[in-house]
Amino acid sequence: MRNILKLGIFLLVVAGVAGLALSYVNTLTEPIVISQEQENKINSFKEVYPEAETVKDESSKYLKSDEQKIITEVNVAYKNGNPVGVIYTVEPKGYAGAVRTLVGFDIAAKKITAIKVLSQKETPGLGAKSSEASFMDRFKGKSAESAVEIIKKEPVNGNQVLAITAATITSKAVASGVNAAREHFIANFVKS
Amino acid sequence: MSLAKEFSKGIVSDNPLFRLTLGMCPSLAITTSVANGIGMGAAFTAVLLASNIAISLLRKIIPDSIRIPCYIVIIASFVTITEMVMHAYAPALFKSLGIFIPLIVVNCIILGRAEAFASKNGVFASVLDALGMGVGYTLALVIVSTVREVLGAGTFYGIPLGGASAQSALIMILPPGGFIALGCILALLNKLQNKTR
Repeated sequence: MRNILKLGIFLLVVAGVAGLALSYVNTLTEPIVISQEQENKINSFKEVYPEAETVKDESSKYLKSDEQKIITEVNVAYKNGNPVGVIYTVEPKGYAGAVRTLVGFDIAAKKITAIKVLSQKETPGLGAKSSEASFMDRFKGKSAESAVEIIKKEPVNGNQVLAITAATITSKAVASGVNAAREHFIANFVKS
Repeated sequence: MSLAKEFSKGIVSDNPLFRLTLGMCPSLAITTSVANGIGMGAAFTAVLLASNIAISLLRKIIPDSIRIPCYIVIIASFVTITEMVMHAYAPALFKSLGIFIPLIVVNCIILGRAEAFASKNGVFASVLDALGMGVGYTLALVIVSTVREVLGAGTFYGIPLGGASAQSALIMILPPGGFIALGCILALLNKLQNKTR
């Protein structure tokens, strides 16, 4: 009985010291992690909508229903106090889980400014190429007024986008995210 | 055993990956690129070094009957510290190693060294043992990941080799490629060893 108590207390002390050490390191690293994530977010906003002066998260205003599951965030870009662009975060389902993508729109031009794949778990060498600039650039400047279509040969008309070779599912997933954002953008930000 | 030998045994005669074949799961999973191999090896070495030091310092106070839970608590703490530091200072590496950082906790090499070496030897010898094992494991990871990255992606440490026309064997960076590469390397090493005998 005494032995069990002794062993228990010893383990308690070991775990307690370990816990203290962990919480101390956490207090040191947590602020760095948070500010880094914030900075990453701002930098990636700049990439999809370079002209933004300030970007405000207005998800609660524009995403009322739970039906819009693909769109997870709506950020509005302002310049001189006026909304000029919209940056969506979309999470369409790819071949192996969500493909988190940022999609930027320009309100005046009704065009896609750029897209950026933030994170994906697609097959290395195939679907993972979706986060390379060569694929993301194919969406640049597409009109927001008609749906973006993924095709397997060289695009002929304006809103067709060439798929990644051997990764059609991933390409279509990215396009479906872009299209979901596009529909929401037309419905909410373009005055007809 | 001399001190120099404590260090070198982890690299050659007792290499954790090639000779003891320990820690297979993370080794197969993360060796898709040389950068990953180096990152994993460095994280592993840091954890092994810290846990070997702590365990060899505490080896006389830890009661024998609860030594394994104590080792696990110590190792898990160092892994979590490594994970938090990496998240703060090397976020790109943290992202690409993903789930395999917390899995260092259950990497049998670390518990194996704690049980087989650090709990029976002094601090200095344990440091040498950890460094040797760490370097040996890192080298092994780099060798496997070099084979896989060069054949599978046509790059080395992210630098393209051979030009755009070269077709890479994609299977080498997919999971089966891990087994193929490791199996061939082990076979080659066995062959070399048999020759020298």
